[in-house]
Amino acid sequence: MTATAHKVCMLGDFGVGKTSLVSRFVRSTFSEKYLTTVGVKVDTKEIALPNGAISKLVIWDIAGRSNLDALNMTYLRGASALLLVADGTRERSLHSALNLLMQSRGLLPDAAVVVAVNKLDLVEHWEVAPASLVELRRTLPVFETSARSGEGVEAAFAEVAARLAA
Amino acid sequence: MQTAQQGNGEIAGASSSADDLDRLKELLVGDELDALDAVQARIAELDRKQHELPARLPDAIEDAQRGSGSTRMASALAQPVTQALGAAVRENRQVIVDVLFPVIGPAIRKAIAEALRTLVADLNGAMENSLSVRGMRWRIEAWRSGVPFAQIVLKHTLSYRIDHVFLIERDSGIVLERQSAPGLEDLDADAIAGMLTAIGEFVHDSVGRGGGNTLDAARVGEHVLWVIAGPRASLACFIHGVPPAGLHALLEQRLEEIHTHLGDVDDGGGIDDAWRASLRPERLALDAGAADLSSRAKPARWPMLLILLAIVGAIAWFAVRSERWNAGVEALRARLGAHPGFVLTGIEEHGRESLIVHGLLDPDAEAPDLSPGAAISGVPVRMAAVGYVSTDDAVIARRARRLLAAPQEVQIAAHDGVLALDGKAEQSWIDSTRERASWIAGVREVRFAVTPITDEAAIARGKLDALLRSIPALHVNFVRDLQPVADTDAVVERIARDALAANALATTLGQRIAWIAAGTNDDPGSDSINARLRADRARWLADELAKRGVAVAIADDADVPQIRERGVYLRATPREGSQ
Repeated sequence: MTATAHKVCMLGDFGVGKTSLVSRFVRSTFSEKYLTTVGVKVDTKEIALPNGAISKLVIWDIAGRSNLDALNMTYLRGASALLLVADGTRERSLHSALNLLMQSRGLLPDAAVVVAVNKLDLVEHWEVAPASLVELRRTLPVFETSARSGEGVEAAFAEVAARLAA
Repeated sequence: MQTAQQGNGEIAGASSSADDLDRLKELLVGDELDALDAVQARIAELDRKQHELPARLPDAIEDAQRGSGSTRMASALAQPVTQALGAAVRENRQVIVDVLFPVIGPAIRKAIAEALRTLVADLNGAMENSLSVRGMRWRIEAWRSGVPFAQIVLKHTLSYRIDHVFLIERDSGIVLERQSAPGLEDLDADAIAGMLTAIGEFVHDSVGRGGGNTLDAARVGEHVLWVIAGPRASLACFIHGVPPAGLHALLEQRLEEIHTHLGDVDDGGGIDDAWRASLRPERLALDAGAADLSSRAKPARWPMLLILLAIVGAIAWFAVRSERWNAGVEALRARLGAHPGFVLTGIEEHGRESLIVHGLLDPDAEAPDLSPGAAISGVPVRMAAVGYVSTDDAVIARRARRLLAAPQEVQIAAHDGVLALDGKAEQSWIDSTRERASWIAGVREVRFAVTPITDEAAIARGKLDALLRSIPALHVNFVRDLQPVADTDAVVERIARDALAANALATTLGQRIAWIAAGTNDDPGSDSINARLRADRARWLADELAKRGVAVAIADDADVPQIRERGVYLRATPREGSQ
């Protein structure tokens, strides 16, 4: 069966664990040095949907920053979905992720959005208040993930695939 | 109530004052109000026309383009259209690029093709003088196939293989179509296409900012990556080796064709199998080669014709020279083959500079004639022969003469192995030869006809001598004058018989005899009478012998010895050599 490919961009502040989440999810083709040189690294992952179809996620791991410059905006072009990543131990990173979402909306008004609050393995050090997450879930799907343990990672990407197939 | 009436009165008063004011206004500014109404009607009419302008504008423009108005229209629109186009390029460059892409692509490709054609023509001219073996082979291939020589050179010098072709959506980097050469390792096309798109954007953003430049080629070792960018999709072609320029033009053409179908894809039509097939590496390579073949003019053929002429001339000269050489060698071969006592085993040629004749030569054979002949005159010919025993008739005869030490009187001949000996020889030679003759190599039969030499000659010589002595003693006597004595006929008969016998013997001995009749007389008589009598008597005998077959001469009177009798006799003078 031929998989339908979708471009998914990972957005989030520096150090929130975007690359770790991707590494946990996919088998990388390219070196991570591209992140520091070109500013992006592309991997793919095929996901089986509940209806039996196959969805291929072409995941663009864009180098972490709190604002989108012109180059990053070009990287976002044509994306079907955004996976916003925040660090649960840094509440500011959640604000950065939402800020990035707002910046990208002009370019990608119809893109599916999923939020991953990472570093669930350090939940005891989280600054992000549960109430904030509850509030956020009213508008966006939010997943608490741990790239280290893998918890929530598959679910977050599966949600992205599901929303793209919807 | 009073208040109400008072109020009504106030209202009536007020109404009256308003009417008054209106009348007053009409009196004061009535003309201006009419003018104002006319202006408002005019404005309303203009608004109506303004709203109708978009609908009327095309007709108005068409009307303006009729007759001389077209020039005015063009002049009037030149400036605003130029400014509008400039503004559109500045503000909506991508839209302009998208619109112009199908037009600009073929134009650029045509210009590039023209430049390449010029380059190839120059290259062809430069290669015209190339006469290396490889160049000659390529020229022959070009001549046979009708393909320009430069194309053949490129075909042989530029080898390449298309590994992968990706059709990539330009914005997302998603692979719309992928074709790979068979047998290659599978790869993550989407990841590669994504990274390629990202790197392209990175390069464009880093070094191509402010222009339409994009990453269009990259090379690593023998691998080449071509990216042909279009407004909505790009073609990425991964190539191993050195691709021809025609391939790039073909990829551009394919991309343009694909763009005409992308709308169908967006509408859910899917990717057409036909243009999916058009991206297959083998198809691209094939079409690139065919495009190059069809787009090039045939090169000048005169160099090839000159070369062919030179080759034909060289071949003809070589053929004539070879023919003359072969004819000369064959003539020598035929002559040597017919030479008795020589068996030709081969003629060794040394670069047409010299000949060595190999063969078998009988020692009793004559030395063969090794002169080269007219066809190969001046070529030295050397003999390298080994001995053998020949059975040729001529050689057998020579061998027999040498081995038998035959005297000159013996004739020797050979025919089909039969040795024939004829003539005369000493008895001792005959005795020793008769048996040995059959031992000679090559002789299967001997016909011996040599007779021994005997002393018959001596006998004949003795008989002759005796006759020559006895004949002069036979005198014919006369009674007087020419009257012979009795029995004279018997004497004459004997003289004649002996003379004929002597002639035969002389012939046997290889001699001849001159017979002379000599007359004689007795003492009486004068000398003159006696001389006449001697002559008459000699003539009488000559006549008588002539009747009997003996030719006789008359002796000179001075040579006749004086014999005192009346008679005549015959004497002989032997001479060497028979008549």
